[in-house]
Amino acid sequence: MSRPERGAPASRGTKPSASELRGTKPSAPATSLTKQRAVKRWPRLVAVGVRTHVTYMSRSPLEITFAVLVPLVYATLAVYLFRAAGDPDRLLTASVGAGLMGIWSSVLFGSGGAVQNQRWLGTLECLVVAPTRLPLVLLPITLATSVVGTYSMVATVAWGWLLFGVPLHFAHPVLFLLAVPGCVLALGAMGLLLAATFVLMRNANALANALDAPVWLLSGMLVPVTVLPAWTHPLSWALPTTWGARAVHAAASGGPVAAPLGLALGLGALYALLAVAVLGRVEARARAAATLALT
Amino acid sequence: MRQLVRTARLVVIGGGISYRALFNWTTPSMFIGTLLVGPVLQLLFFVYLGRQLHVADDRFYVLGNAVLASSTACVYGGTMAVANERRYGTLGAVLLSPRRRAPLWFGRALPYVLNGLLVSGFTLAVAALVLGLPVPADSVPQIAAVLVAAAAACSAFGLALGALGLRFRDVFLVSNVAASVLLLLTGANVPRATLPPWMQAVGEALPLTHAAAAARRAAAGQGLDTGLLGAELAVGAGYLVLAVLLLSLFERGSRRRATLDVL
Amino acid sequence: MLAIEAHGLRRTYTSRTGWLRPRRTTTEAVRGVSFEVASGELFGLLGPNGAGKTTTIKMLNTLLLPTSGTARVFGHDVVRDPVAVRRRIGYVFGGDRGLYERLSALDNLRYFAELYEVEPCEQRRRIAELLELVGLDGRERERVEGYSRGMRQRLHIARGLLHRPDVLFLDEPSIGVDPVAARDLRRTVADLADAGTTVVLTTHYMAEADELCDRIAVIAGGEIRALGTPGALKARVQERDVLEVEARGVSETELDRVRALPGVRDAAVDDRGSVQLLTVQSDRGTELHARVLAALDGVRLGRVTTREPTLEDAYVAIVAEAERATAGSVGSAAASTEVPA
Repeated sequence: MSRPERGAPASRGTKPSASELRGTKPSAPATSLTKQRAVKRWPRLVAVGVRTHVTYMSRSPLEITFAVLVPLVYATLAVYLFRAAGDPDRLLTASVGAGLMGIWSSVLFGSGGAVQNQRWLGTLECLVVAPTRLPLVLLPITLATSVVGTYSMVATVAWGWLLFGVPLHFAHPVLFLLAVPGCVLALGAMGLLLAATFVLMRNANALANALDAPVWLLSGMLVPVTVLPAWTHPLSWALPTTWGARAVHAAASGGPVAAPLGLALGLGALYALLAVAVLGRVEARARAAATLALT
Repeated sequence: MRQLVRTARLVVIGGGISYRALFNWTTPSMFIGTLLVGPVLQLLFFVYLGRQLHVADDRFYVLGNAVLASSTACVYGGTMAVANERRYGTLGAVLLSPRRRAPLWFGRALPYVLNGLLVSGFTLAVAALVLGLPVPADSVPQIAAVLVAAAAACSAFGLALGALGLRFRDVFLVSNVAASVLLLLTGANVPRATLPPWMQAVGEALPLTHAAAAARRAAAGQGLDTGLLGAELAVGAGYLVLAVLLLSLFERGSRRRATLDVL
Repeated sequence: MLAIEAHGLRRTYTSRTGWLRPRRTTTEAVRGVSFEVASGELFGLLGPNGAGKTTTIKMLNTLLLPTSGTARVFGHDVVRDPVAVRRRIGYVFGGDRGLYERLSALDNLRYFAELYEVEPCEQRRRIAELLELVGLDGRERERVEGYSRGMRQRLHIARGLLHRPDVLFLDEPSIGVDPVAARDLRRTVADLADAGTTVVLTTHYMAEADELCDRIAVIAGGEIRALGTPGALKARVQERDVLEVEARGVSETELDRVRALPGVRDAAVDDRGSVQLLTVQSDRGTELHARVLAALDGVRLGRVTTREPTLEDAYVAIVAEAERATAGSVGSAAASTEVPA
């Protein structure tokens, strides 16, 4: 059996007693965790969090349906439409576009409902009571929804190839494998802002079910943004999804990848910073008003 | 006569109360966001997709999606009307009721027909305004009739899906898939002629398929196609019968298998 | 050093109901609670449902801000310095929610170990120790959805202890747990307290509180009605006798008749399935037997016993007294006021 640490008495039996388990605290307990060390924890914290939540979501049939089956329907729809339009060389665009739509849907529903879901599970209090700051608790969850979204990219591309014989001729195969995770990262960060906004403004929640189509449209996931009225263009430019989608499409069908990918990541970081500010308010208000029932 | 009044009460009052109790989207913000704004935005997405690909004109997408708009309210509503009973643990109490089952369940589907009709009408009106699609005045009553048939058929379809909730745990998974299948196979967004024959055949048996076609004809000033309208109503009647059969089958089965209160 | 200092804690909830004509309802859940818990003490909070126990605990563990008053945990203010407080406390609540059901116990603990700042090099060993302590070793790779109530509760406790908290808040940990599991739970809690962890426990089970707690505060209507060692609380009813009568069909009329008897301090009826248990507390030495039976004329009676007062009797007396006091002044235990918003 394991040895109790730091000066606790050596174990006597096969079962550790509570006193051994408690051990003695380091003289100045967790407060000695300096800012620098706290920052060093972040990568591991995020990695463990993403792993935990991806596993958790992957074990739910409902989440998998959202992530895989529904995007397959969209992929099928897109392929038939592109075929009917006499655009057979853009079938890969259709598959990839449907995959991007799937990632966004996953982020929208998963991240938008991130706080609500934890509340229903009854885990929200345990998360808030933890000494880790709320944004760092939530970021792995929203990143996980985005990672689960990539199932849809894999599914739609494989589906197109298997069923419709869509040729897998990626313009930049290696860049594609970089662009997708980059896009996922940017969307996960955007998810954090969604999560924050949806707790701060409860009525925004109601928009969750309505927000998938407009973002598909404004980000040019399936239809180029150029067909939209000019007044919508600034909206498109402000969305990390637009640049992420552009990078992924460019990697699949040709065009510059690095610049839009960089923009997507930059905007994602900006959204995440905004989210941190919003979450500060959310937490203060939740403790004060108890209206958010972080109880 | 008294029997009739009592049954009517069960259908109307019971249906109304169960709508308020079991439908998740009755709060004003949820209703507006999910049922009114959502379908309009989805319509715009497909209109722009259609414009880009030149597969079909605006009228095709506007009417197809207006008909399809009722599916959110009707499919999920029908599912919630039955499946949420189990979620709230009240199903046992409902099944202990001595009342006849057909009017009980039928009453539950009724509010969703009205709801679906409202959503379709709203979507069509907003889309016609925003996109500047003229709808001839004399075809409005015809389109209205088609929308009623579509909402009714779709609610029956939703009720049949909800019946599965008496037997299977993740029934919302089924309704999610069903809703997206409607999107693909009813011809609301993909001209059915471009789909392979087996998909066309499945589409024939789904609600909304015939209604979408009938609505497009009416809007084009070609009058009300009673054949298509009849086909839509027949499909709806078929699902209603299926729903009642499934409900009684699973009710009996659940007593045998004790699956009622297993969440 | 004091583990917990609470001074004049108050908490009101405001809720809005209605959409067209919203009304604001204010409920005072906790109305000025002050107490201190010494380091290493096992402190019990007892009270009826809705008395303000959980609200009090949530103000102390930083989940809720007090409406007024202050609280400190090992010198750290719960309002100004929540993160410092969170590093030193563990929180365990009853019921079977609050775990990731589709994950194994091990994955649950790994995740929370990270969030609770357990050093990476220490995590594996710490988790193994805790699994052994709560008796889940060997089953840690199974998904939580297959766990019984008792197993979930033990996993909750393991999670609450991951970061070696100085103060452990246990909010009704034994709710819905079977007697054997509840006994194990009590032993674990007692061991922790022996090892120097400060424990704040809320519970409904008097025997549990009597066995475990160094001191008990009885909360009713958002205020502390009594505070002291279990022995001191029992002393409040020591000058009493308790008469228990099994009966069927006791109504308020009979109950009032019993209450009106000279020497009777309190009478209550508890429905236990097909029979009722009438408990009559009286001044010591009052020979009530015959008079109570006479007052219950016309009621079917079963066994009649006389016994020594327990902590439960003390608790019932304190709560009943509090209810009478508030019934006179405000109207209900947690007073509500409605104003249009």
